[in-house]
Parts: sequence; structure tokens; C-alpha cells
Amino acid sequence: MNQATHAPSVSVSELRLPLASRLASFGELFWLTLRQHTHGRRLVVLVLLLALPCVLAIMLRSLSRPAPADILEFALVFGLIPHALAPLTALLYAAGMIQDEVEGQTLTYLLLRPLPKWTIYLTKWLATLLVCVFLIGFFTFTLYLAIYWGTPQLWTEIVPGRAWKTVVILALAQLGYCSLFGCLGLLFRHTLIAGVAYIVLLEGVIANVAFVGRALTVVYYFRVLILRWLELPDLMQRQWVRAWQLDLATMPAAPKCVETVVVASLAVTIFSAWWFSRSEFALKTPESSG
Amino acid sequence: MTPVVEFDGVSKWYGNVIGLNKLTLRIPAGVTGLLGPNGAGKSTLLQLATGQLRPSQGTVRVLGQSVWSNPALNRHVGLCPEQDAFYEWMTGWDFVHTCARLSGIARGAAAAATEKALDLVGMAENMNRAIRGYSKGMRQRTKLAQALVHEPRVLFLDEPFTGTDPVARRDLMDVIRNLDGAGRSVLVSSHVLHEVQALTPNIVLLHRGRLVAEGHVQQIRDLIDTHPHRIVLVCEDYRALAAKLVACADVEAIHFLTRDSAILVETRQPDAFYTRLPDLALENGTAIREVYSEDDNLEAVFKYLVTA
Repeated sequence: MNQATHAPSVSVSELRLPLASRLASFGELFWLTLRQHTHGRRLVVLVLLLALPCVLAIMLRSLSRPAPADILEFALVFGLIPHALAPLTALLYAAGMIQDEVEGQTLTYLLLRPLPKWTIYLTKWLATLLVCVFLIGFFTFTLYLAIYWGTPQLWTEIVPGRAWKTVVILALAQLGYCSLFGCLGLLFRHTLIAGVAYIVLLEGVIANVAFVGRALTVVYYFRVLILRWLELPDLMQRQWVRAWQLDLATMPAAPKCVETVVVASLAVTIFSAWWFSRSEFALKTPESSG
Repeated sequence: MTPVVEFDGVSKWYGNVIGLNKLTLRIPAGVTGLLGPNGAGKSTLLQLATGQLRPSQGTVRVLGQSVWSNPALNRHVGLCPEQDAFYEWMTGWDFVHTCARLSGIARGAAAAATEKALDLVGMAENMNRAIRGYSKGMRQRTKLAQALVHEPRVLFLDEPFTGTDPVARRDLMDVIRNLDGAGRSVLVSSHVLHEVQALTPNIVLLHRGRLVAEGHVQQIRDLIDTHPHRIVLVCEDYRALAAKLVACADVEAIHFLTRDSAILVETRQPDAFYTRLPDLALENGTAIREVYSEDDNLEAVFKYLVTA
């Protein structure tokens, strides 16, 4: 045995990882998370779900008496996507980003690297947010094309204005949902059930009731930003205000909405990263399971 | 001599269940075997030593540094975990390269380190195949490669021989012995005394979360050899294998485990028996798929030590 080469201790300077190495580490974790999200059935299921409104729009617009584009826009772009598909996408990805590693027992390979635990959470969360924003943004834009294809507004009003603004607002909503469901994934074992219950009760029911509690929902800020930013035709705006039971005079200004969503999301994410950093993840060995 | 791994009054509870009980232990440089039956606390000890678990009581230090919440130390520490978990969609090369990059190694250097680590564990030929198609032995080798890729000073190996065939077992043992020669310290856990004894005479014995004994293996072997060593061999044609083994003088008894296509061999000379196994495993008609030792005899020794 070559005892002379065995060093029994390391100095603090030997422990410090150079900045370039740290960046390489974060970059790899970000890339790994993106690859995880684009492998497996989850992406296929979500793509099929997100493509459904596009198919539906094409079918309804192809009828002998095509459905009006503005009604389809309200029902699909401002109904189905923010109420169901956007939160579901965030739920499936954000809640699973740590849980999947724990259940697959691959979290060990991440925890054994010279990365502070809180940065592991943050890096994975950022990659997850990017995937969710891309998916929702891409399919929302495609849905707009499907609804307004062949109409004169498409290239004058929709593509240069409403479509990309809606994508930006949905990206903000995804920020909120990813923070929330990421946190939920850490705190609860049955996240899918808790997440669906949250989507249905809070984002589905409470957001539609005109009382102060709706200010706790992401959908509320989404709707206010739609009405503030989209420069909708007057008639359309009045109809949507009535449908959503909002009051233009009392609802918050757009910057306030953005600030609220961003600050709340960051607060939840920082809490989650802290929670993750102090959590232990015991492995399922024959000892622990037996 | 300054210990590489130190446990000072460490206890770990999982709710009401105790994983480790007031463990004080100093592990020197070199190779040390961590022995104990299932449930002894070996994996808990390794998870504490690698900073995955926080001690409920006491302190754990590796290379003189506190372990919990000290990720920078992971630069110098490697773990080959017991669980058979991978990113199955990756190739072996991809997996080890990803681990290298996660350890902060630059892209070019990571590729070179990956190939070196995979070559060291004998996976160079299969490194471009998807992990989901790997045999148990290949998976164990790949796990070892990920633990080695960043050239850690201290290596923790949790049951690295579980489920491997005799050839893979021999190769992995050679790798571990060479690590010691290269100046790395290794703590290898197993519930099979013979495996550990083949690597090092320095052993630590755990039983029900407590340190039962530590020191030279010979003292333990003297106790063990009063009991027959029980080894299970899994083989397609287990009857032919039994026919070959029955002629061996060191085999005391053979039991058929028909349901598992396996035989249970009892021997009082496990060294001689294990030495013969790799050649036997390669013979036509008796290709051995898996070898494992029942821990009955070790359990008996633990009972003896605990009640003595």
C-alpha cells in the first residue's frame, strides 16, 4: 500500500472550486434538466394535449359556417390555455423536477457534486421554466395562427400585437405556476393530486369569483394584464371584462401586476431552494425499505 | 495517523428507527472494509459520510472537513451508490461524462477523464451503448466509473459487487486494489466477509447501527470458519454445475434452489472456492449468471460478537 501518497486532509483553498468550473457544473445541470424534460412520455402527452386546441380551432374554422375567430380566441387562448394547459404543463414538469430524481434514485448523482444544494434547485427550476415557457409560447402562437389563418387581421393585428403579447403574459404566468408547483413538489408526496386540486379550486373557481381572495391566483393577474396590455377593440374588451367579472377602474395597473407575480414567484422559489438545501433525501436501500 | 474519515459520537434516527447509534470511528488512509448484515447501518454510514444525510447527533468529518452542507468537499469524494439507478436513456459514456461535467471538469478534460474512467473499469468497449441494455455487471462498472471520473481522494463503495458475475467481481476487485496503490482511500461496504477480505485486512463491523468490532480480519475469520460459508450460484444449467462442484473437496453440501435456477453451496474453504469460480463461470454449459453469499454465517458471527 502506498501510504505516502494518501493525504488525510484537505485545506480550505483545495476545496474552493474555480468560477469556470462552477459555471461548467451549473451549465451541465441546466442541460441535463432540459434533456430529462425532453425525454420520455411526458413531453409526448403534453404536446398532444397542447396540439388539441389547434386541431379544434382548425376544425371549427373549416366548417361551412366557421366559428367566429374572436369567440375561439376567448375560449381557447384565454380560457383553455391559462386555466388548464399552462398550469398542467407547469405542474407536470415543475413538480416532477426533484420528485422524479428522488423516485428514480438519481438525485444522489447530483448531491455528490460540488454544487450547493440550493443552486441545484434553482438551476433545475430555471431549466424547467424555460421548457414550460417554450411549450406554452409555441403552442399559443400556433393556436393564434390556426384561429386567424386566412383573416386580414392575422398579419396586421394578431402576429405583430396580440399573439406575442399574450405569449409574454403566459410566460409570466408560467413563472408563477413553476414556482408554486416546484414548491408543492418538495412539500407534498402526492403532488399531482394537490396540484390538480389547486388548479381546479383556486385558479378555476376562486379566480372567477369577484372577491379579494382572487388576488392570490395567477389567473387574476393574467386577465388583468390581458385587459391592460392587449389594446383590444372596445366591444371585445367590454365583453371580456363582463365575463371575467373585473372592474377596469379598480383593478391594478399592469406594472403592479408584473411586480406582484415576479416578487411572489421569486419569494416562493427562494423558499423552495432553502427548503431543498436543508432537506435530506434518504435512499431506498434494502435497509431503509426493509 | 490522521484519519481520513471520522465519526464522533454519531447517531442517526429515521423517526423512531435508529440507523446509527453513537458511532465513534476513525478510518485511516488505504482500503477499509465495512461489514455488516442487511440493516446494520452501512448505507446510513456512507450517506452520512458523503453529506447526503445530516447526523441527528455528533459530527462526521472527511479529510479533516465537516461533511454536512459542505458541497465543495465533493470535489475530493466519490460514491458508488448501492441503488441500481441511472438516467437509463443515456449511454455509459454520456452518463459518466455528465457526472464529470457536473463535478466542474471542463468539456475537453471531461471527455478524456470519462474515457480514462470507463477504460479503468473495463467498459471502453460498451461505453456507447444505452445503459438500459446493460447487464448488472456493466451497470456496476459504470457506477464505479462515475465515482472515479473526477479522481477523488476518498472513495465510498456501497455493496459494489452485488449481483455481479465472478468475472466482473474479480475485475472490480482489481480496480479497487489499484486505487489503493494510486494513493486513494477506499471504504467499501459489503455483507460478504470474503469479498472484503480479498481487498483489505482492515475491517469495520457494524450490527444494528452499532460498531461491533474493528481491526484485522483474521480475528473475525477465526470465528467465521467454525460455520460453513453459504454461496448461491445462479446458472441456466444448475444441475450440470452441481455435478461439477460435487467433485470438489472443499464443497461440503449442495442444495438445489429450483425456483431460482440456482444452487446453494456450503463450504468451509471459501477462498479456494472463490478462486476457482471465474474459470468455472466461463466453461461451456455452466456459465454462471450471478453469485451471492447468504449472510447466515456472518449473521452468526455478529450474534456471537454482540452476545459475547
